[in-house]
Amino acid sequence: MNSRLNILKSILWAIVGVWAVVSVARFVRGLGATTNLSDGAPWGLWIGFDVMAGVALAAGGFVLAAIVYIFGLERYRPFVRPAILTAFLGYAAVAVGLLYDLGLPWHIWHPLINWQHHSVLFEVAACVMIYLTVLTLEFAPVILEHPIFKHRIFKTVYNFLKKATIPLVIAGIVLSTLHQSSLGSLFLITPGRLHPLWYSPIIYVLFFVSAVGLGLMMVTLESLLSGYFFRHKVDTSRLAGLGGAAAAVLSLYALIRLGDLAWRGVLPQAFSGNWQGNLFLFELGVSAIIPAFLLMAPRIRRSIGGLAAASVLTVLGMIGYRLDTSIVAFLRPEEAAYFPHWMEFAITLGIVAAFGLIFIFFVEHLRVFEHHDDDTATAKRYFPIPVEASSVRDFGQRSWRGPAWYSLVAIGTAAITLVFLPEHIRSGDLHRAESVSGVRTIEGLRLTRASQEGTRFAVPAEDAMAQFAVPGADPVLLMVIDGNRDGNLVLFDHESHRVREGGAGSSEKECGVCHHMNKPFDRNTSCYECHRDMYNPTMIFDHTSHTAAMGGNEGCVRCHRDPDAVKTADNIRPCYDCHADMVADGSTMIQAPPKDGLRWQAPGYRDAMHGSCMACHEKRMAADPEYYSAQFVRCDNCHNADYDTELRHLSPYATLSQAAGGE
Amino acid sequence: METALQWARGPIFWTAFAFMILGLLRLVVITVLDIRHIMRDAGDKSLPVGQLIRTTLSWLFPVRRFTHRITYSLTTIIFHVSIIIVPIFLGSHVMLWERSIGLSWPTLSTTVADVLTILAVVTALAIVVQRTIFADARRLSRFQDYAIPLLIAVPFASGFVAMHPTMNPFPYEATMLVHVMSANILFILIPFSKISHCLLLPFTQFVSEAAWRFPSDCGTQVAVALGKEKQPV
Repeated sequence: MNSRLNILKSILWAIVGVWAVVSVARFVRGLGATTNLSDGAPWGLWIGFDVMAGVALAAGGFVLAAIVYIFGLERYRPFVRPAILTAFLGYAAVAVGLLYDLGLPWHIWHPLINWQHHSVLFEVAACVMIYLTVLTLEFAPVILEHPIFKHRIFKTVYNFLKKATIPLVIAGIVLSTLHQSSLGSLFLITPGRLHPLWYSPIIYVLFFVSAVGLGLMMVTLESLLSGYFFRHKVDTSRLAGLGGAAAAVLSLYALIRLGDLAWRGVLPQAFSGNWQGNLFLFELGVSAIIPAFLLMAPRIRRSIGGLAAASVLTVLGMIGYRLDTSIVAFLRPEEAAYFPHWMEFAITLGIVAAFGLIFIFFVEHLRVFEHHDDDTATAKRYFPIPVEASSVRDFGQRSWRGPAWYSLVAIGTAAITLVFLPEHIRSGDLHRAESVSGVRTIEGLRLTRASQEGTRFAVPAEDAMAQFAVPGADPVLLMVIDGNRDGNLVLFDHESHRVREGGAGSSEKECGVCHHMNKPFDRNTSCYECHRDMYNPTMIFDHTSHTAAMGGNEGCVRCHRDPDAVKTADNIRPCYDCHADMVADGSTMIQAPPKDGLRWQAPGYRDAMHGSCMACHEKRMAADPEYYSAQFVRCDNCHNADYDTELRHLSPYATLSQAAGGE
Repeated sequence: METALQWARGPIFWTAFAFMILGLLRLVVITVLDIRHIMRDAGDKSLPVGQLIRTTLSWLFPVRRFTHRITYSLTTIIFHVSIIIVPIFLGSHVMLWERSIGLSWPTLSTTVADVLTILAVVTALAIVVQRTIFADARRLSRFQDYAIPLLIAVPFASGFVAMHPTMNPFPYEATMLVHVMSANILFILIPFSKISHCLLLPFTQFVSEAAWRFPSDCGTQVAVALGKEKQPV
């Protein structure tokens, strides 16, 4: 048995195992949970690699079809089948990759029905769909040659498809030309966001020419790889012919790209020494210039090493060109820095691995490469599927190849991937943890308006405070409520609320309207000390310290009193029994038992704030609708975008005193 | 200790459980492929469905074996019943399922669970003892035949003392860590050891049933193939 192929297949199956688990995570939990994409960086690895580079890598199909069927260079016929197969699987992989990247993947059929004639993307979608169909028809005869399709109907279809080869090839070339270039045209609408060294008004020409060169080199690389893994002789004389053509096309690509930049006067930026300039030089060198020079030398392009070096450089370099255009050199807002999440890499690699396995399957079972023409050898490979391990045997005696081994590798990596999935994928909490800080206080003005639109605040710069202090504008201390410090804040006039709730004196009865719970041995615990996460509930009961304080195992039954009940938080002696002092004086939110116990979980900060403020506002409104304006129960009563901008522009960072938890 | 416990009942549990489910599915698929293979090679292609169901059921409820080896039969039955019922229907376990995937089902009362747990531990030890003292059984036994009943006893014993803190000499967290981790190890071992019979039982019955059915005149054919026609066997 072929150990190289075994190792390759084992690695591919291992990646497929990881891919399967991450795919479930992607489709169950969504894009936000599995990627680092954002509104500022909506196109990531899946578009850059799976679609942009994937389409380009599949270009060998139409290039070879054109060479053999249109230009009649029969010498290269042996490369047509692998090239068509690569194109077919490549486009299928693009479609699969697109499913991952679409926010609503079940809408992928929409371009079929809803035609958007003005959109380049519509053109791309239509071309990919039609070309995938054409490729399926182009490759179908190879599948129909298999002995299991011996029925007459299959023979009829086979003969028909064979006759339709030339029209199919022409359709394939037209469609490829259209959308290899239109993938570049997509970037015509982004002159401001794509770096000048990559943006070009003729970017579609660059995409097309580079795809032709890449297609030739991809066919070369595939032949070399299949020669290595299936241990057959590589036909270097024919590959050298392809290499010569590739040298010409790659040189043409480099000339057009450099010429275009020089013509528009952008070229000097390439030598400015910044990272974009260096990246441009590196990418162009690796993808076109070095391989073109290598392939121009007849001795190098006739050697396996030379062909391998040139094809690997071109393939990696051209993948780099597509990634640079769609991700790296694509300018994003400062906050939207993007580096793919490991799960994005897992999906991308997984799609490549899965389609690699399909490729190997086809090569093993169909007549894809010429030297497999030996009919008896091929027929032997069709049946039976070798199942070498019997399930009743022990694990250690199993063979290290065949379905038993590959399935073991795949489920092994799949299970291990579960360890590394982020917690929010497993628990399903859509909010990632976002810790909360206490409030700060700031000096401001309360503007009371006659028109009953409610109270508004103004926050002038500190030194301008005096000149704004006019009648109707009272200086007050304002609490800046911004738990997660994202700049979206609420200004809260603590003192006025206190007085309004009946606290003109110092009875402190009014505190209980909002304050409900203190930490042990504390009197005015701030909100953020228990509501510690912006969105997720916080566990405020510390089981470990309680166990220790109660004397270890003996102490369990002091709280979990019922020996027959499951020992959970639902079956405990009320916390209030010991911690009566933790309820704030006069609390209306938490009252003495039996109505409410003390809670072991504090809701998220946002929920806590909304629950406390809104409940009260709505109650007041219902009680006295005449007095309050409709504004009083609306979102913008507290959330006022003006406050954020006022604070940032009038008084950036200056007067926010860092009195965390101060009241 | 608490972090380790969180880790053990979180990611490690997920992985171990997935290993068990996927591993068992894999075994079923491989076995079905094997069976296809066997059926193709089999001389007699008729399926002994009735006999298959009979033998499977008779091994699921080995009442007939009570005529001899009664102690061993009883021990294994009690062992199997307890180790299947307790983990699935224990109140605390059902509560964990309900919290994580929102499904719940009827639970055992704690008294029944306690009794069955003790029985599971005792019968596990009894199985090992019987395997050791009977020479015939000892000859048939592999390492895993001793190791697995003992390993199964660990989560039951540790779970029992965790549920009864007053008779537990070890700290609660340590007990739970042993409980969870030993169960995780078992989950991973299930598809790779004799425990896989929990799902493969009907298939192995099928394999032995189907593989040993020879065509009617195969004896003659073997004799012909060996060139020993008309010779006494």
